Amino acid sequence: MSDASLAPLSPHSFDREAAAHLLRRLQFGVRPDEIERALAEGLDATLERLLTVQPESAEFQRGEAALRQTAYAASSIVSLKSWWLYRMLHSSNALREKLTLLWHNHFATSYAKVNNVPQMAAQNDLFRRHAAGDFHELLHAVARDPAMLVWLDGNANRRRHPNENFAREVMELFALGIGNYTEHDIQEAARAFTGWQLRDGAFWFNAAQHDAGTKTVFGKSGQFEGNAIIDLCLEHPACPRFLALKILRMFVTDQPVESLIAKVAAALTRSKLNVKPALRELFASAEFFAPEHRVGLIKSPVDLVVGTLRTSATRITLPAAAEVLARLGQDLFEPPTVKGWEGGRQWMQTSTWILRWNFATELIDGRGNLATLRSELWSDGKDQPDAWELAYLGRVQPEVRASIAMHWESTASMTAEERARSVLRFLWTLPEYQLG
Amino acid sequence: MSFPATRREFLKVLGATSLVSLNGLPPRCLSAALVDDRARPDQRVLVLIQLAGGNDGLNTVVPYAEDAYRRARPALAIGEGSVLKLNEQFGLHPSLTGLRKLWDAGRLGIVHGVGYPHPDRSHFRSMDIWHTANPDVTQPQTGWVGRTLDVSAESSHGLREAVAIGLDRLPLALVGNRVVSPMIKNLDAFRLNEPEGKSPLRTTAWQQAASANSDAGSELDFLRRSAAASLASADRLKSLGKTYNSSVDYPSTGLAQRLRLVAQMIAAELPARIYFVSLDGFDTHAQQLPGHAALLSELSEAVSAFVADLEEHALSQRVLTATFSEFGRRLAENGSLGTDHGAASSLFVVSPNRGGMFGQPPSLSDLDDGDPKFTTDFRRVYAAFLENWLQVDAAPALGGQFAPLDCV
Repeated sequence: MSDASLAPLSPHSFDREAAAHLLRRLQFGVRPDEIERALAEGLDATLERLLTVQPESAEFQRGEAALRQTAYAASSIVSLKSWWLYRMLHSSNALREKLTLLWHNHFATSYAKVNNVPQMAAQNDLFRRHAAGDFHELLHAVARDPAMLVWLDGNANRRRHPNENFAREVMELFALGIGNYTEHDIQEAARAFTGWQLRDGAFWFNAAQHDAGTKTVFGKSGQFEGNAIIDLCLEHPACPRFLALKILRMFVTDQPVESLIAKVAAALTRSKLNVKPALRELFASAEFFAPEHRVGLIKSPVDLVVGTLRTSATRITLPAAAEVLARLGQDLFEPPTVKGWEGGRQWMQTSTWILRWNFATELIDGRGNLATLRSELWSDGKDQPDAWELAYLGRVQPEVRASIAMHWESTASMTAEERARSVLRFLWTLPEYQLG
Repeated sequence: MSFPATRREFLKVLGATSLVSLNGLPPRCLSAALVDDRARPDQRVLVLIQLAGGNDGLNTVVPYAEDAYRRARPALAIGEGSVLKLNEQFGLHPSLTGLRKLWDAGRLGIVHGVGYPHPDRSHFRSMDIWHTANPDVTQPQTGWVGRTLDVSAESSHGLREAVAIGLDRLPLALVGNRVVSPMIKNLDAFRLNEPEGKSPLRTTAWQQAASANSDAGSELDFLRRSAAASLASADRLKSLGKTYNSSVDYPSTGLAQRLRLVAQMIAAELPARIYFVSLDGFDTHAQQLPGHAALLSELSEAVSAFVADLEEHALSQRVLTATFSEFGRRLAENGSLGTDHGAASSLFVVSPNRGGMFGQPPSLSDLDDGDPKFTTDFRRVYAAFLENWLQVDAAPALGGQFAPLDCV
């Protein structure tokens, strides 16, 4: 097994472009003023700030509570989507929301089958509570989460024993990934899960239904019950690798190389599956800032919509934004299958390219049905387009810089507002803008 | 002809004449995208028409001469005098006049006795089986088309996209582990909203930036190529919308309008090569005759118009259209002048030139719990669509080897 570790980024490498890259990945979009702040504070202090849960403003707490209340009272998943979007747009803890989304994708559970708004909200809260925490706690908690139990019960096939399905999900989808267990492991694990039931919307262990005999899983024998199986999965060497892959595909690159997966897996093993220390190591590493990794992700619909709205818009109509997400292929609370959203290049099809361009047009030329551009974009008196180029696109090739400059020149006779709209339209339609 | 035949016309559609005059050479990436994306004339399309509810195959392709048929259906049997005779044993339901014409033109294929072992008579379960091509999978997650695209999308000239039209949920058949196929209701899904005179996509500066060199295989390279391809598709559709002329009068029924959309998208040479539409209502447990007749009429008229339209645009050689349903219905009628869930049934394949009957018609006396036994596994039909027609490997879709039926 490789001992290779992530190498820390040398401090003088944390320049303006590096700061922009870090923030783009750990937040939803990035504003020029945020880049300057990170540059001034330095990498370590910035990471400490982003990885530590900050208090939310009173206004945010009021807004969040009101939306949650509406969703519960009306039992409306549309309202719950608005609630989560509000959090993503306005929370002081963007990374925590991104991690919540990562877990939502990892433990993909759909409202389409669960059909219960409070249960979906509770599951979402669970992901948030353990977002950068101990994966042991998260996995154990998810295994008993009512929405998850309904989802897997609802998906329980009609031929095999329901718990074999559950055992398979835990191994294949939650902890280890395909190829790291045998069918025999699943059958034995299924015996251990007997008695695990859902009653009155909550987890219930029915001892009378439990097979208390000896089982052998991953070569180990014992009178295992469900929790013991989960622990065995957590101890399995495939677990940190599996998590490493998910983390890398969310924050670094759609196609991580083996050595990078191994390094992040090693970090997770060292941290005993505590996510925060491993993330800190990753985000402070030279690997994270490698040139190919800065252009290695394609924006998910959430990245695009939330990132653009948060940095550049106001008076946002949340349900309309949720609708855009759905049409782009990422309907919150309704992942397409238990495997979640594959992401990467799969986000980009003929129809979704057109929708992404239309989204930009709607913001810039629309009548405000979705949102209104922030007037600070042109009234702050700052000369552009360099700061915008860095914030929206990151480092670009010389030809692209030249094109942006050409377009900027061509808008010289426009008013500040017209000019801003024209240049933003230019930037937001470039292929580069779809890089995460 | 409704789509640009020459490269100059094509570039004019893109609004890129200024681009051509710059250096005299179009940027490398854009021209590469032109080659990759436009479906070449020999690229074939598959159109799937789902008949949801369980189509009564016995009253669709009628074994009018068999006593067992008439005896089992005193009220519902279609009589010899009413069927549109195809041969000495079978005739089509009288509503299927359009399909009869396709039969006469040698374009209608009929596959008999299609089903699978241990038939499931639950709509939900059996439709899952047809969509996933896997009777054994217990928690279906992906479909046969989705899995095909997962693999074929890797190759640069391969199948990349499928489209579902007029549905609320993406059909399981199209769900892949990686691929996300769009669902569309109308061509608005491909309508690029561009502010008059202000669209950056048409400026020299933008096009230069969007076609700069990138590292092959990088995400940026993929984004530039797919952007160019998508823009080209949107422009073709827009241009087509203005010039799409068809002397064909499509009926105003839902299916016909959806197939009309498909025809337009095929004519616009969108990258999608598999299209999925559905016609609902076939669960005829009671008072079957009038409802079934209306549905079959809708099917027949819609498919006829579609084929005629493709013919007019010189596209019909490229398109294979097939129907499928989650099961047939029981041989015996029930007490409500209807029929109940069955198992094996026939299906239609409309091809450029391979008409005729395929597979073995099931016996109407040796039944499986009151239903005709299947004689052709449906996966052999899928194998034919994939390997014989689309010329891609069927193994990802079917998870095993199934000899393609020679219906294609």
